Formats: sequence, structure tokens, C-alpha cells
Amino acid sequence: MEYIVETNRLTKRFGKELAVNGLDIKIPKGEIYGFLGPNGAGKTTTIRMLLGLMHPTSGTVKVFGKDLAKERIEILKQIGSLVENPSYYPHLTAYENLETIRKIYGAPMERINDVLTIVGLSDVAKKKVKGFSLGMKQRLGIAASLLNNPQLLILDEPTNGLDPSGIIEIRNLLKQLAAEYGITILISSHLLSEIDQIATSVGVISKGNLIFQDSIESMRLYSMRKILLKVNNSERAWHLLISRGVKADYEKEIISLSNMSDDDIAEVVRLLVENGYSIYRVEEEKRSLEDTFLQMTSEASGI
Amino acid sequence: MFTLFQAEWFKLRKTNILPILFTGPIVGILIGLFANTDMFPDEANQWTGLLLVMNLTYALLFLPLVTGILAATICRYEHQAGGWKQLLSLPVSREQVFVTKYFLLVFLILVIQLLYFLSFTSVGLVRGLTDTFPMAIVWKSIVGGWIATFPLAALQLWMSTMFKSFAASFSVNVIFTLPAILAINSAKFGPYYPWAQPFSMMYVGGDTTDVFFIPWEQLLTVVGGSFLVFFIGGYIYFKRKPI
Amino acid sequence: MIGKLLQVEFMKLKRKGIWFLVFLGPFGVVSLQMVNYGVRKEWFLHQGTYNWDYYVLNVSAITPFALILGIVILTSFMASIENETNTWKQMLALPITRWSVYLSKYTTLLFLLIIASSLLAIFSLLFGIYLDFQNDIPYVDIIRYSFYPLFAALPVLGLQLWISTVIQNQGLPITVGVIGVILAYMAYFIPDWLIWKWPSLDNQWNEPLLNVYWGLAVGIGIYFVGMIDFIRRDVK
Repeated sequence: MEYIVETNRLTKRFGKELAVNGLDIKIPKGEIYGFLGPNGAGKTTTIRMLLGLMHPTSGTVKVFGKDLAKERIEILKQIGSLVENPSYYPHLTAYENLETIRKIYGAPMERINDVLTIVGLSDVAKKKVKGFSLGMKQRLGIAASLLNNPQLLILDEPTNGLDPSGIIEIRNLLKQLAAEYGITILISSHLLSEIDQIATSVGVISKGNLIFQDSIESMRLYSMRKILLKVNNSERAWHLLISRGVKADYEKEIISLSNMSDDDIAEVVRLLVENGYSIYRVEEEKRSLEDTFLQMTSEASGI
Repeated sequence: MFTLFQAEWFKLRKTNILPILFTGPIVGILIGLFANTDMFPDEANQWTGLLLVMNLTYALLFLPLVTGILAATICRYEHQAGGWKQLLSLPVSREQVFVTKYFLLVFLILVIQLLYFLSFTSVGLVRGLTDTFPMAIVWKSIVGGWIATFPLAALQLWMSTMFKSFAASFSVNVIFTLPAILAINSAKFGPYYPWAQPFSMMYVGGDTTDVFFIPWEQLLTVVGGSFLVFFIGGYIYFKRKPI
Repeated sequence: MIGKLLQVEFMKLKRKGIWFLVFLGPFGVVSLQMVNYGVRKEWFLHQGTYNWDYYVLNVSAITPFALILGIVILTSFMASIENETNTWKQMLALPITRWSVYLSKYTTLLFLLIIASSLLAIFSLLFGIYLDFQNDIPYVDIIRYSFYPLFAALPVLGLQLWISTVIQNQGLPITVGVIGVILAYMAYFIPDWLIWKWPSLDNQWNEPLLNVYWGLAVGIGIYFVGMIDFIRRDVK
């Protein structure tokens, strides 16, 4: 598989504190990768290392298949980024702010108006950024990240400070960029609900460790489906299931089955019915992604 | 008010204030050690001579400039990441905040003056001065210099609440401080220029019969007057400042 | 690339009042002489020192000290433009090398200081002409005393740029700057090896050009030390 971003045992240590510990991030081409973790988990530090702003203590970063340590400039030509709080020159206008970046990329002049239109700031292009609201500054940051028509967008908490309609706009924009131009996007957030609505794959980081990395579907699967069975004579029924090699748990008169496909569950039900048990209830206990995320991070911190 | 002062002190302790405070004695020692003894007036007490030479640069340039740096330092953390709006949405009045910051600033200048006193005595001991220590004159100079910075401190606090950038308030400070070099050479203009007052107040050669080295009228009108103008100006500005 | 970066640097200086300071520095130095000659013209005449040479010396007595102040203020301004909302992280994530960023900052500062020194030469000349001295205009001396101190001050420029780019709190670089200003003010009493003495063009061999050579050599050295440190640091 072709990975746009691939890190190998990426580690960053600040003095005694291990901020990022042996990350193996893999982002396939065209994905929207949700980089998820509580505040202070090491997301921003990781992103800084992906952009070459910080030097890893150990480990390597490959972007577009090239080694970041060796070909930083070539790589950065194809990346658009927004790191943490928006950076801007307050005494310059929105247009001038973008101009300082456009010049360095050598992008065409028209591109400034294009990106201002994309993020909806055309009306205030000639105003000083000093007076902008946080949401407007954030949009300006996103506009800046699009100036060079990047192949990879790295956005650190891009919806910070945006109002709900702004969040939806940016979400749709990112989906569109990924769908139409095949841009790969890394978007970090501490809110799972946000990632859930946009990402196609997910990496979860907690205390500097990557504790989950897979498609969003796998994460949903992981979070779902604990099937609870209430039957008569439940303890004997449980023993029956165990003896037939079914993975089942028993607690307080209830048999529970986790991570099973629909067919497996049908099979279990048939088995019980054929052996004369009365099935009172078959329930699905659904954990929200949020719960899963919390459980993942608390499990990780328990280690 | 006192709790506010304690809060200010707490915030300040976490910043890099110490290196700035220690520049006072460092500059004192540098001046004192590099200065040429030939410059001492022959007839005077050696200590007085040393003080005269050290004050020349210290009071004329360093003291006014460092006042501005300290003012900007105690406003720096408020300008960063919206500190002002947080501070002023607490149950304190803007007046209290301004006055507290001002007291803190003058207190820091006093600390610098005391450290400078220490460096002065150290330089004297290193140079092995044997004359009797003119306690009264030295203290008159140290305390006088301190009082003379009151108006400058008020103006710099005003500038520091106005400008986010250190460089901007420092530029204002420099623009006003430099002409003092000329002012002290002019008998007509010198007594009226506020930035020349720290020098005049620390200048040992002045009239020693009064409590300070400058006449009371000058102290009250020039130092007192410019203090009122700058303090009230800054106070009104801060009260109206849109945060 | 450096050309583009320089254009960007000058764009960022807009509306910051920096051009005003570049004008004010040399204007201030000459206006001190305006006051000096306004008040003491008779005295100069009486001493027999009312001439071009003595006038150029008078101007040049203040130059080093004003120059150091200018360097401190301008470098701090340049750094605060990036420090204010931490645009370093945005700028350094662009496809440019860090050394070129540092070099463009340095070059911009040097350019501003060259403008200031040129203005100093022009203002000194104009006021000197106004004073109507009897002897010939010493063009070479005017240019020499306007530009030699700048070359001799390159180590200070390198030092100030280095510390103000790597230290967030601008209070510290400015404090170091003030100590430098004090040392420059006392130039004649401090040892020859201190870089703050060099702009005064004074040394025990009475050879101003020596200070210029030292300034260039050590200035380039400090420039590289600062640049290497800047390149190696993590961007917060």
C-alpha cells in the first residue's frame, strides 16, 4: 500500500518527559486521517515533527515516500499546514498575510483570491487581521494552508473557535478536497464526534503512545455489539455455549457475546433454541464511539 | 488592594525578572571597575568621587532605560494570551490594577537602587578605598535617584499598557532619555527635563545643604508635576482602554 | 529564494513605524549637534574649533552609542513581528531553509542600518553646510565616520539578532542591549576586546580601520553561531 505519511518509531523527549513514544503512523493516500487524543497527549508535538519544526529524538518520518530529514524542502512544497493557534501578522491585512506566504511558494497571485473565496473571507481581504474574530483567524490559517495546492494537508485542531455553521463548512470543504483532488488530509482533534463525521481512518494517541490505528469502520466495529442474551436456566445455557466453543461471558443471569458477526449470533440463537432453552431477550448493548475512545485512553493510562 | 499586590508579585516571580534586576549591580560594577581613577576629583572623599563617576552613566542612561524595561515586563504577561481581559473581569477595578502595577514598578526600581548601592560599596572595597564612608551623601543619592524615576515609571507604565511590543515602548523610552545627555549640560534646560532628574538627584556635586541634591522647588514642580501629568494620563488611558 | 524572502520581510515592516525610527536615529544624532552648536557657537569660535573637522568629531562622538541603541531596537522589532503570534511555526513549515530565513532577517536589518548610516552622512553634511565653516568639506571623513561604526558594530548586530530570535521574552535581549549601550557610552574606558567598544573606532593603536576589520571578522563569526543555533532549535 502506498503511504503518504509513514513514521517509524517516532519519539520525542523533552528532558525527562517522553512526549511522543515510538509512533508508527501510517496514512494511506487519499484518506482523511483523524488524529485523535486528549489534550496534552502529544498530537501537536507529533505534527511539529511531521513538518520538520521539531527534530525527533529518535525515529524517522517519511512523507510522499521521501525521508523528511533529507528532503524537507521538497516535501514541504506539497504540504499545507495549520499548527495549533492561528499564526498571523496582526498589522497586515488578510490579503497581505497571504501574500507573505504566496511569495515564498511562488504560487500565482490569483490563488490568494481563490483561497479567500474558499474560506469565505473575500469581504474582509483588505482589513487588518488584528480585528478578526478567532474563527476568522482560523479561516485565514486554513486559507494559507491551501495556497500551494497541497497534496497533503496537516491541520491541527482546525475547527477551534469556529461556530457550528463554520465547522460544517470546513468539514464539507475538506471532504470535497479529498474527494475531488485526492488530497490526503491529517486532521487532529480531541473530539471524537468531529473525527467521526469526517475521517476515513483514525489514529488514537494517549500519553504519547499510539493506542489504535485503523479505519473508522473498524473503530465503530470495535465500539459496537456486545449482544446480551436473557434465557431461562441461564448458567446451564452458558456452559453449553462454552462447551461448543462459543466465546461468551456470564454475569448476573445474563450471557454476553462480544465482537461477533450477525451470522455467529444467529448460530448461537439456533443452538440455544434447538437445545430447548427459552430465549426471553436478545439485546444489543451499543457503546458510543465516545465511550470507546474514553475507554481506550483510560485503559492506556492504566498501563 | 494588598491581595492584588500579592497576585502581581506571584505572577512576576514566575518570569525572568531576576536577570533584569541584577543588571543594576552588574552595570554598576562594570562602570565602577572600568572607570579611571584620574576622573575622581582630587579634593573630594574617594567614596564620593567613585559615586560621582559611577552615577554619571548609571543615573543618566541606565536608570531611565531600565525603568522602561521593568514597566514592559510587568505588563508582558497580560498582553500575552489575553491576560488583560482575564484580570479585568475579576472583581477588581481598573484603577486598582493600574495603581498596583505602578506600586510594583516603583518597588522594583527601589530594589535595583539597593542592589546598585551594594555594587557601589563592593567596587569601593575592591578598589581599597580608605576614606570614611559618607553614609548621608550616598543614601541621599540612592533614594533621590529612586524618587526621580517616579514620573518616568508612570509614563513607561502608560506606554507598556498601550503597546504589546517591548520594542515599541522601549523606543519611546530611548527617544526621551537621550536628550537628557544634552539637558544635563544646560543650566537653563536641565532642571526642567524630567529624564534628567534621576541624574540631578543622584549628582553628588549638587547642593548638599538640602535634603536632596536639587532644590525643593525643582523636586516638587518638575518631578512632582511630571509625575502627576504622566500618572493621570496613564490612569485615564488605562481606564478607557478597550480590552 | 533570498530575494523573495527579503521582499516578504519588507512587507512585514509595513505600518510598524520602523522607517520612522530609521529616520529618527540619524536625525537625533545630528539634532544633538544642532542644540550643541546653537548653544555653544561662541565658545567654539573662541576656542578656535569652529571648523569641519571638529564638527565631524562632535557628531561621531554620539554615533556609536546611537547605533547600538538602533540595533537593539530594530532587532527586537524584527523578532517581535514573528514572536507576537508565533508566526515562526507557520513560516518555518514553508518550503524554505532555515538558514535563508535567518539570513534574510539579518540582511533586512543590515539594509535598514545602511539607510540610517547614509542618512547620517547626509544630515551631517547638510547641517555642516548650514553652519558655514571656513575650511573645505571633508567628504571622506563624513562618509568614514558614518559607515565605519556600522561595520565595527556587526558583532553586536549578530548577538542581538541571535538572542532576540531564540528568546521569546524580549525583555532579556533588550536588557542585554541596554548593558551594551552603557558599555558603548563608556567606550573610552573599557578594554579593546569588548565588542561594544569597537563602534567608537577607538583602540590603543589609534587605528580606526582595525575596529572595522575586527567587526567584520567577529561579526561574521557571531552571525554563524547564531544561525546554527537557530537552525538546530525546535520550533515551539
